[in-house]
Amino acid sequence: MNTMGTENSNRANVPQRPAASPFAAASQSTASFLSSGPVIGSEASAFRPTPPTAPQITRPFLSSGPVVGSEASGFRSAQTGRPNDPSIPPPPSSYVPPPTGPFQHFPTPQFSSTAQVPPPRISPPGQPVFYPPIKPPAAHVPSQPVSLHPQPPQIPSVRMGSPPQSINHVPSGMNVPPSSLDSSFSGPRPTLQPLQSAFPGYPSRPSNAVTQPPPVQSAPFVSHQGGYGPPPPTTSTPFFAHQGGYVPPPPVTAPLGAYSRDQMQHQGSGPPMGAVQGLTEDFSSLSLASVPGSLDPGLDSKALPRPLDGDVEPNSYAEMYPMNCNSRYLRLTTSAIPSSQSLVSRWHLPLGAVVCPLAEPPDGEEVAIVNFTQNGIIRCRRCRTYVNPYVTFTDGGRKWRCNICALLNDVPGDYFAHLDASGRRIDLNERPELSKGSVEFIAPAEYMVRPPMPPLYFFLIDVSLSAVRSGMLEVMAQTIKSCLDRLPGFPRTQIGFITFDSTIHFYNMKSSLTQPQMMVVSDLDDIFVPLPDDLLVNLSESRSVVDAFLESLPSMFQDNVNVESAFGPALKAAFMVMSRLGGKLLIFQNTLPSLGVGRLRLRGDDLRVYGTDKEHALRIPEDPFYKQMAADCTKCQIAVNVYAFSDKYTDIASLGTLSKYTGGQVYYYPSFHSAIHQEKLRHELARDLTRETAWEAVMRIRCGKGVRFTSYHGNFMLRSTDLLALPAVDCDKAYAMQMGLEETLLTTQTVYFQVALLYTSSSGERRIRVHTAAAPVVADLGEMYRQADTGAITSLFCRLAIEKTLSYKLEEARNSIQQRIVKGLREYRNLYAVQHRLGGRMIYPESLKFLPLYGLALCKSIPLRGGYADAQLDERCAAGYTMMTLPVKSLLKLLYPNLVRVDEYLVKVSSQADEFKISRLPLTVESLDSRGLYIFDDGFRFVIWFGRMLSPDIAMNLLGEDFATDFSRVNLCERDTEMSRKLMRILKKSREEDPAYYQLCHLVRHSEQPREGFFLLTNLVEDQVGGMNGYVDWIMQIHRQVQQNA
Amino acid sequence: MVWEAILWVIFFLMTMGLIALNLYQIVCLSDLEADYLNPYESSARINAVIVPEFVLHGVFCALFLLTGHWFMFLLTLPIACYNTILFMKRQHLIDVTEVFRFLSAEKKYRIIKLAFYLLLFVLVIFRLVLAVISSMVDEDDDWHESGWY
Repeated sequence: MNTMGTENSNRANVPQRPAASPFAAASQSTASFLSSGPVIGSEASAFRPTPPTAPQITRPFLSSGPVVGSEASGFRSAQTGRPNDPSIPPPPSSYVPPPTGPFQHFPTPQFSSTAQVPPPRISPPGQPVFYPPIKPPAAHVPSQPVSLHPQPPQIPSVRMGSPPQSINHVPSGMNVPPSSLDSSFSGPRPTLQPLQSAFPGYPSRPSNAVTQPPPVQSAPFVSHQGGYGPPPPTTSTPFFAHQGGYVPPPPVTAPLGAYSRDQMQHQGSGPPMGAVQGLTEDFSSLSLASVPGSLDPGLDSKALPRPLDGDVEPNSYAEMYPMNCNSRYLRLTTSAIPSSQSLVSRWHLPLGAVVCPLAEPPDGEEVAIVNFTQNGIIRCRRCRTYVNPYVTFTDGGRKWRCNICALLNDVPGDYFAHLDASGRRIDLNERPELSKGSVEFIAPAEYMVRPPMPPLYFFLIDVSLSAVRSGMLEVMAQTIKSCLDRLPGFPRTQIGFITFDSTIHFYNMKSSLTQPQMMVVSDLDDIFVPLPDDLLVNLSESRSVVDAFLESLPSMFQDNVNVESAFGPALKAAFMVMSRLGGKLLIFQNTLPSLGVGRLRLRGDDLRVYGTDKEHALRIPEDPFYKQMAADCTKCQIAVNVYAFSDKYTDIASLGTLSKYTGGQVYYYPSFHSAIHQEKLRHELARDLTRETAWEAVMRIRCGKGVRFTSYHGNFMLRSTDLLALPAVDCDKAYAMQMGLEETLLTTQTVYFQVALLYTSSSGERRIRVHTAAAPVVADLGEMYRQADTGAITSLFCRLAIEKTLSYKLEEARNSIQQRIVKGLREYRNLYAVQHRLGGRMIYPESLKFLPLYGLALCKSIPLRGGYADAQLDERCAAGYTMMTLPVKSLLKLLYPNLVRVDEYLVKVSSQADEFKISRLPLTVESLDSRGLYIFDDGFRFVIWFGRMLSPDIAMNLLGEDFATDFSRVNLCERDTEMSRKLMRILKKSREEDPAYYQLCHLVRHSEQPREGFFLLTNLVEDQVGGMNGYVDWIMQIHRQVQQNA
Repeated sequence: MVWEAILWVIFFLMTMGLIALNLYQIVCLSDLEADYLNPYESSARINAVIVPEFVLHGVFCALFLLTGHWFMFLLTLPIACYNTILFMKRQHLIDVTEVFRFLSAEKKYRIIKLAFYLLLFVLVIFRLVLAVISSMVDEDDDWHESGWY
């Protein structure tokens, strides 16, 4: 054994760290932690299965077929059916349905505008133009096809003074007397005003931040966002302000043409306007009013909110508490913590956080490293919180008060500094731990149970027939060889290999040898390790042997015809070799484990199981061996990454368990073939081997009194009620957690969160990364909604739903998502339904405008979609394991991928430096123009779609001779044309954005089935595919459910 | 009638054993909850006694049947069936990887079981005392009878 060996041999002598240390690594810590409640139970009770979706109204404009020759923007949903209105001329073809801006903000009504307006009645502003759900009896409504010109918005403020009175004419039953429901939380507007002022830090939103981004192409709609100014008199029609669902108000029949639109809006019923002035509220809405008797939903699909800008990180949070850690490390589902249990119960969305402790810091920033050499790290005596920017120093700087438990602690002598007049330490700027939300402490010896382990990579490689045939072995060996120089932790890095088919092959890599010695163990029932050491060697010492091994590995098994796989015994052997040190175990598996312990059988073929209560059993490990091995691995600090390649069923559900509980990751390459997939494997394996990794880590998140984290979701194992054991962590892994209130009422103004990750860096240093964040406590549900973070909520939804698929049917998991969205929106609606006439209108907070879409995308994501035939079982499980680890940004991209059109950019003659601007398109077939070339990028793969009428010139330039051949055999590579170089630059740039996964290019030709359907059409989440709703139907369905029992 | 008393003593010991096993499991779970034990150790300890407990209960139940104590047999039968079902589904053992998720449920289950065994304990003691007394009365009777003649 080498130097590391001696280091390890005295592991027993390493002093146990004090029991009170928060990180109970393997040994029992006496610190008492409260237990967590039953996670699933409480979760499950919150979900309510919905009845199967109601039959949908047919939608004339949702044509699923290819749209030939029509511009995407020209594709309008013409409102056709208005059979009971004889006076209306048939809509012209370019007819824009008057539901102008079916969603809009409720602008501040400018009541002072003109004196002509009869003040006594005010209609809720912001419901201007759409078809009334109840026809005005007067048939003389001349709703001519008005072309809506952009009107100069005269009211810059988008906030609205909401008329607090109820309106008398609401026909849709939404007209609840104002006093009945919400007086406690949102009733009279004046109560809301002081509440907002209690948080002066909230940025008052600029109007453009609140307005819905209009769909790119539909210019006519642009004008209807934001304020509704009086239109130019020439184009104004009296009925612009016609209220939906509204018996025509008496004054309307008067000579309306003279009135400006603005005035028109105020002709409804309402209270005296004086009280309304200056009261602001903002929410977004979507008009869904349909004409009774018509088949059309009255919803313009173009106007639906779409996250075309990608993930928007929450920022209000950062402005309020500038010392908070960056949101890429910690994201709360809502940055306003509810103050009471009753508020929590009305917040139907998840309440929790998504933590990515090692996320790559934003450009130009580094996580400061702090070294407390002598006195140890400053921590609270009672709750063990690390010193952070939110602690307060008192008593002239001799004491500090913990921000989490409010205990007064002494400041150690050498940490003392005087306070200035404002009570701040004079050395504040030199101390990053007191000014930055994210710091890294160098941990002294008391944080170690053993000497810091070296980075250790162990490879368990399947060398059976299919592994050799597919070329996996060769690609893998080459990749590992090329990465050897870049493995972190030189010169301490350790490495080892085991290969297996029906027997297990060990390799002696002792540095004195020139060639590795192979030892074969064929006794699978009683595994033993043939050599005590030298199976795991120091890379820098045995480099030449390792090189020689990797060089010869592919040829060694070239002629292997063994098809068996003794995976279980091999795993046990690897575990025995690694168990003393821990490290990362990379498993390359090509076939279903067939010999020895942990052998698996083919399952998932039985169609009849789907839809029954036994369905979920397919998604959980069949053999308890795998769970037990995973638990043992975590105990010994072994992280398992599974690379699976088979074209047949390999039971990823079982294999992935190994990754799930060891903080690892599953890479799945179905039907791997080196000619096609080698780049992907090469990049992802290289990334896995060379990215900065934190070893033998544990993570805990602390939070202020009264709040408690109750459940954790992700790839890890819980070592105690709130301690996550993570044998290896890196920047691509995120963890989600849910919290609850312990007390019925929170008395504090602010809740603090602190994530602490104790780990061994590759350089062999023990470190603690600490992220601190603060969030205000609020007593108002509306504020919670305003501060909600769609990304974090979606991430939690995703994890909860995937966990649910492990014990319930897929359908129930999907329903639970839908139910929670519905409940959340219904509760929100109840907040405002009293004040506004909202019949036929879906309202949602601005912060959650994308939530329904992400919910839909989630239901259509691979782990949750459809049934038996919609995704391979292995693919489903692999995607599930992957999505459980994804950080928020990557997850959102996967759920709503980028779709961009590139042919125009390629054709354009431009200089080299000209940057390609990504303008994302809605994910529907209608976005695809048959003359175009599109890139679909979900962060895991590119699909390049060639339109049928794409100019052959482009295709020739990009593909050369391969243009006419079968696209499944064509590899997109750079050719010597300007266009090809440009395209490759675009692809390269997208790949660099998120290097965690490598996007392999799949070329798809327009209407080339089944390839197009498989790669692209099923992933266009807004379309109706295979029995799943399209976006419009989904919104309608949610809206209907929101209104039921509203 | 002495054998009847001996039988009840056996039942009594068995109930004691079942109560002890259950208590032990509850203590392990509480220790885990309070972080005095790590999940590996805790679940290993609990899993070690689960099968013995099931076997003991099975024997207990069967013995009632064989000795014709119908009421007691019917009383213990549901748990025996439940245990069998758990065992068949291979869900009887604590899953170390998910132990925290099911911690409170497992604890509740065991506390209910403990309460049941305590009830059983009372019944068994009662019947034990009855049996002992009746056996003593029988002996007295025997003695008296022999004295009469």
